[in-house]
Amino acid sequence: MKVSHKWLETYFDKPIPSADALAELFTFHSFEVEGIERLRDSTYKLTDTVIDAKVLPDRAHYCLSHLGMAEEVSFLTKQPVKSNRSSRSILVSLDAKPTIKIEDPHFCRRYMGRYVELNSAASSAHSKDGSQSSPAPNAEQMRSFLAAIGQRSISPIVDATNFVMFDVGQPLHAFDADKVQGAIVVRAAKKGEKIELLDSSEGPGKEVELLASDHVIADDIGPLAIAGVKGGKRAGITASTKHIIIESANFDSTAVRRTATRLDLRSESSKRYENEITPELASLGMNDVSILVSQAYPSAKFGPIVDQYPVKAIHTTITFDPILVEMRLGIRIPSREVKDILERMDIGIAEAEGGKWLLTVPFTRLDLKISEDIVEEVGRIYGYGHIQGILPPVSKAKVPVLPAYYLSEMIKNMLVEQGFSEVSLYSLVAKGEVETAYPLARDKAFARANLTDGMMACVEKNAMNADLLGLEVIKVFEIGRVFGKDGESTMLSIGVGQVKKVKGEKVDNILINSWEMLNKELGNNLKPKIIAKGTNAVCEINLDELLKSYKVPANALYSDLHFGPASPNMYRKISPYPFIVRDIAVFVPENIEADNVWLAIEKGIANAGASGLLACHSLFDTFKKDGKVSYAFRMVFQSMDKTLTDDEAGKIMEKINIEMKGKGWEVR
Amino acid sequence: MQAKGHLHPITQTIREIYSIFYELGFEIALGPELEREYYNFDALNIPADHPSRDMQDTFWVKKNGKTERSKDEKNLGGRLLATQTSAIQIRFMQEKLKEGITPPFRVIAPGKVFRNEATDATHEAQFFQLEGLYVDQNVSLAHLKGILENAFKKLFGNKTEIRFRPSYFPFVEPAVEVDAKVGDRWMEVLGAGLVHPNVLKAGGLDPDKWQGFAFAFGIDRIVMLKHGIDDIRLLYGGDLRFVNQF
Repeated sequence: MKVSHKWLETYFDKPIPSADALAELFTFHSFEVEGIERLRDSTYKLTDTVIDAKVLPDRAHYCLSHLGMAEEVSFLTKQPVKSNRSSRSILVSLDAKPTIKIEDPHFCRRYMGRYVELNSAASSAHSKDGSQSSPAPNAEQMRSFLAAIGQRSISPIVDATNFVMFDVGQPLHAFDADKVQGAIVVRAAKKGEKIELLDSSEGPGKEVELLASDHVIADDIGPLAIAGVKGGKRAGITASTKHIIIESANFDSTAVRRTATRLDLRSESSKRYENEITPELASLGMNDVSILVSQAYPSAKFGPIVDQYPVKAIHTTITFDPILVEMRLGIRIPSREVKDILERMDIGIAEAEGGKWLLTVPFTRLDLKISEDIVEEVGRIYGYGHIQGILPPVSKAKVPVLPAYYLSEMIKNMLVEQGFSEVSLYSLVAKGEVETAYPLARDKAFARANLTDGMMACVEKNAMNADLLGLEVIKVFEIGRVFGKDGESTMLSIGVGQVKKVKGEKVDNILINSWEMLNKELGNNLKPKIIAKGTNAVCEINLDELLKSYKVPANALYSDLHFGPASPNMYRKISPYPFIVRDIAVFVPENIEADNVWLAIEKGIANAGASGLLACHSLFDTFKKDGKVSYAFRMVFQSMDKTLTDDEAGKIMEKINIEMKGKGWEVR
Repeated sequence: MQAKGHLHPITQTIREIYSIFYELGFEIALGPELEREYYNFDALNIPADHPSRDMQDTFWVKKNGKTERSKDEKNLGGRLLATQTSAIQIRFMQEKLKEGITPPFRVIAPGKVFRNEATDATHEAQFFQLEGLYVDQNVSLAHLKGILENAFKKLFGNKTEIRFRPSYFPFVEPAVEVDAKVGDRWMEVLGAGLVHPNVLKAGGLDPDKWQGFAFAFGIDRIVMLKHGIDDIRLLYGGDLRFVNQF
């Protein structure tokens, strides 16, 4: 909800805090503020400041309006909201009035309608009845307020209905009265009934087909509007409209939401109905919009207001035990202060039996239903900052162990000990048995049916980086859920990629060794199927099945699993560029240690100005011959900024060679 | 001896957080990733066709080519990918009571959750949450603050402060957003509040007798903060150049 500071000021006699100060107050007492926008004119003079508040469904009953926001300001600053802001009423000078019928009083709790003869062209300038004394804004002010919150001016009538909606929160609609035939009926749509909608900022109005669960405002001919959602073209206001019928109504939140969602017609109007507003608001909306129409059309004549209000709203009452404030918030707030907060919210307080209070909630506050809601209001207005933390009582009893969690964490520990690293892959994939509606992408439409596919791709990808990782065998595992027709299972997948061939060692064996170790530890007899692809192999084990035969020892404790702090390491960026591998073997006298050789190599790299390019190194071979020893090092070079060329690697090697020769060592 | 492998940083952080709560007597619960509408929404005071459902874009599961969304009490409504670990609260309370175990309840529930949102460096369609639920008599926001202060001081150092801001989650009332001051920066770290009476009722408890607090850490966010990770997608790339750094 965008809130214009200038607009907000019209609710108060005295100056209110700046937009920044209000944003701070809202943040700690009301809701999140998503942004503050400063508006300037062509001379860069500040014209208004707009607060963008994130109004969530609980406060949307009253805060999707400047009036509601002004009330919040009043709760927080103790400054009263002006009481006479829209006290003026319109002189009724016509007998003409619409006939209104509500067929479904559950859907339409109130419908107010009024006939207006516009008579002359709109006056675009200031109101003639002396804007000084009028609490309503003049046309120019109204347009600038609407512009501040991103609403463009459309026509005097639409601007007036829009303005009142953003001002007090009541959606309004106007029909061209000369195009309405017979009575106005609020009814369920007939299945297959069609309506051509008004044009909108997104483009020309389309024709939509309705269902029996939708509701319309109709006349003798057919639908005039989709109730609470969007007006139809047939009785839409045009430049030549002479007579209008103004609607200020209340429609059911659930039904409006269903229709607006199904037709993809979310509007500012449907948004307010969806969040539910009190039917009491309709009269304020009708009164205010009438004043604005009379200002825009000074010679307009107004008929009486027809008000169909079958079941009047009643005030919510809550029997509130004031002791709950301290019990739930954990802070003691003087009773007088609690009452002050509630009274500022216009909540009636009457003493009831047993020291309880009978609270009468204002109509607009549909969010206040139970005692906990009252505790929240007191807590947030008083300020959560007053709460001092208290550690609740600690249990000394043995913490029960959940076998599924214990098993999976124990397996993780065992595999890590064996050199396996854990990955967490994507659950949404291109194929599977469980399909999601409205997927983010076609290749992410299914919940994965196995871990194997993801694991195989993972091993292949990591095998390409083996040199960079300093690994001869890629060893990876994942524990995660898979989804089949009969539900989900927890699986373990283990993946192995043999990068460097070792005589007599097959990739399958590494995999078999891994689960044989698990078998030994768990006293089990797993023999999962191996899926092999070249030098890579993956297996997958159902842990839910394993849990049927494996019993967690009765004396097991989570502390046996040695959970501790996470690694303190900070993330080092991964270069998106390819790496280059270079090997070097150096023959040195037997008394020279490998470390000394590496130090000399490093010096050579530094001489080439390439220390920053060395990603990793390893000593991969050592042998002795004729009183000399040969050390073979592998070096991996990589830049964060570019692809290294052979030429660049060659220059580094040259500098290393110079360094080796200087030491009198032989490079093989 | 061969070199050890590495636990994924998400596992490491879940373990670190759980070990803090383990000291206070919290047990572990796990829930399904393929959830039912009843547990994920209705029982958590998020009725069908209510705007509060918009707060979590949901992956609904299709059945015979159609979205499973029809409300059916008997089979607990349509299937969906869990949007929050809070669903585990209801299952946990119901199961405990079925076993004849009454509060106090202290439980931590880590889990993978899903949101149907476009992904970028800070948003993923899948991420991990860690839910905490505490049910006892006379539970207050001061207890919630105490237990979270304890956790954040252990996670980010003794100087870490936390603060509450008002918020809205249908399953708690009052609802708060919790910020932590790490170094000299305040950061939004989790949502929390006192368990809503309707949720206690759905769990099978009398809200006049029992109260509770609940909170949900976004694990990915904590992991990113702790290790200075700038892109959430690194967590799910299966890349050992990333995992083996930790």
